[in-house]
Amino acid sequence: MTKVSHLFTRRRMLGATVAGAAVGLAPGLMQAARAADEFKIGLFIALSGPASLFGPTQKACAELAVEGINKAGGILGRQVKLIPTDGGGPPAESAKSAVRLMLQDKVDLIIGSHDSATREALAATIKAKVPYIYTPVYEGGECGNNLYCLGETPEQQARLPIGWLARERKAKTYFIIGDDYVWPHKTNDQAKKYVAANGGTIAGEEYVPFGAPNKFEEAVTRIKSVKPDVVLITLVGADNVNFNRTFAGFGLDKEIARLAFLLEENTLAGIGAESSSNLFSCMGYFANNPSAANKTFKAAYTAKFGANAPQLSTIGADCYAGLNCAKALVDKAGSTDTKALMAASEGLGFDTASGHAAMHGRQVDKTMFLAGCKGTEFEVIETYDDVKSGTACKV
Amino acid sequence: MDPLVVTQTVNVLYAVTTLAVLALGLAIVFGLLGVLNIAHGEFIMAGAYCAFVVTQQGWPFLLAVPLALVVCGLLGLAVERGVIRPLYQRPFDTLVASWGLSLLLRKLAEAIFGPGYHSLAIPLPGTVRFFGADYPTYRLVLIAVSLAVLAALWAWYAGSRTGTRIRAMVGNPDLAQALGIPVTRLAAGAFVAGTCLAGLGGVMVAPLVPVQPFMGLDYVLKTFFVLVVGGLGSVAGLVGGAAVIGGIDSIVSAAIDSTYGYFTVLVVAILFLGLRPRGIFARR
Repeated sequence: MTKVSHLFTRRRMLGATVAGAAVGLAPGLMQAARAADEFKIGLFIALSGPASLFGPTQKACAELAVEGINKAGGILGRQVKLIPTDGGGPPAESAKSAVRLMLQDKVDLIIGSHDSATREALAATIKAKVPYIYTPVYEGGECGNNLYCLGETPEQQARLPIGWLARERKAKTYFIIGDDYVWPHKTNDQAKKYVAANGGTIAGEEYVPFGAPNKFEEAVTRIKSVKPDVVLITLVGADNVNFNRTFAGFGLDKEIARLAFLLEENTLAGIGAESSSNLFSCMGYFANNPSAANKTFKAAYTAKFGANAPQLSTIGADCYAGLNCAKALVDKAGSTDTKALMAASEGLGFDTASGHAAMHGRQVDKTMFLAGCKGTEFEVIETYDDVKSGTACKV
Repeated sequence: MDPLVVTQTVNVLYAVTTLAVLALGLAIVFGLLGVLNIAHGEFIMAGAYCAFVVTQQGWPFLLAVPLALVVCGLLGLAVERGVIRPLYQRPFDTLVASWGLSLLLRKLAEAIFGPGYHSLAIPLPGTVRFFGADYPTYRLVLIAVSLAVLAALWAWYAGSRTGTRIRAMVGNPDLAQALGIPVTRLAAGAFVAGTCLAGLGGVMVAPLVPVQPFMGLDYVLKTFFVLVVGGLGSVAGLVGGAAVIGGIDSIVSAAIDSTYGYFTVLVVAILFLGLRPRGIFARR
């Protein structure tokens, strides 16, 4: 007995040693196994530059989506790993980062929330080798291979609100002011069509240099002498704030309505309560839109990041939609093969922060909200369901 | 008179006078001390944040002026002692050092106040009617305040003993020191005066623009152009430079649009650099 029991102990000892060694090695082994099995997503958001005020929200919304996706089993059964990358600098810098993401990090998919110039640089670099989901509000018409656009298009932002202004405000004359680059020009091309369709006329159109230290006393004085019913604004960021503050400072806000095409919570905070009367915005997301989906989304966002979480806006919520779209798209296609993805994209449904979205022609038909500014808050006036993107790309 | 012409004329006056005050601090630091202070815009930003803090606390807006003078003064004192003092007579090195400083100040503002835009209620809202045109009250007051600041500084620089000493220091630092003028202290004082004036400019513009970490970038280029055109070392040059840069920008923006306004400013600045590098009033 003693011998056997001695053997047992020796065996046990051996077993314990081997098991111990295995446990000791395991974290390394498991990590290696997991890394090979992770679904890596490169996420281009504004970490530097003037748009970097959006960075924290973009990152937080993306992380919230990833948490949900990983709880639901990841993408293709693999856990998602985000690699946040700066898309707020010069387009060429972002293109270099894209090369690194593809060759070194070997990402499975790229999501971008940044301006159109950077999108063009990234699309030319990625060359459809990995799927690329472009999420923010943009000028429409992007049909690059293996490229999927989720953002609000001019068609979605302009058609119904201009009809609303013509109907409710009896608007006849419109003045256009914007930054001088591709998004404002293409957006205004669409807007002009809807102005004409509603029997309105364009009383003036001007653009200011993009990225220059602009001031707006002269333009506002000109608008005052023209006396339009509506000003259509395609200025972005600080230009948008400066213009609207100057506009109200000259006392024009009482009589002239303003419809801005990139006006979200952060910009409105800059414009301020005393400069925001008679100012409208039409977006796919507002932080206080009344949808049930938004209530759930906001509750989850606050639970994860606390009461002092970065301000929610359409820039940020777009990243949340982008990740959910990535999961739906790749899971439906069953692989990251370009042809399978392009085919799977048609009729694809996925969750956004404000409800459900449907992809057609690699663009998204979505619910749009027309909001008026009440102080520094948006008050949704009209909800338009299933607004078509107006762009249809080959799938 | 046509209200459009009246308003655009006042716009030109507004552009010139505010630009002169915004460039004033830089004119002192660059014009008198030869320090290429790229962080000038960030001192303007610091002043604007002072105004933001004051209004956020519900204090009267004018309290922002002493607060900005204290904050920008202390900041200027520390920067002069720690960064600039070893670099006098090395303009390019001051450029690189103050560029680094501007990055640091921007990130500091971001760390304290966050990256977002802040807006201040305009202290004097509404418009005033004259010659048939309505003009924002606060902007009219700014024109008056700017003219007063420029006049006061001109009188002080031309008439006071310290003004004379500064002129002596600028003319010949070694000789000035030999005569018992405390050159080091005088230079530090001039630098601090420059940053304080930048802070004052920041308080003035704060209610009109979004207060945010990057706002300084909007001012640094134009204020340097003012000095390129106006030349260094005189109040008349400063006002002349502001009149040319601010005036041309405003007039062309009013007549055509602001793209041409900005374009014309750039062309004028390049022409001056090439043809009259010492400024508008320089004698050959």
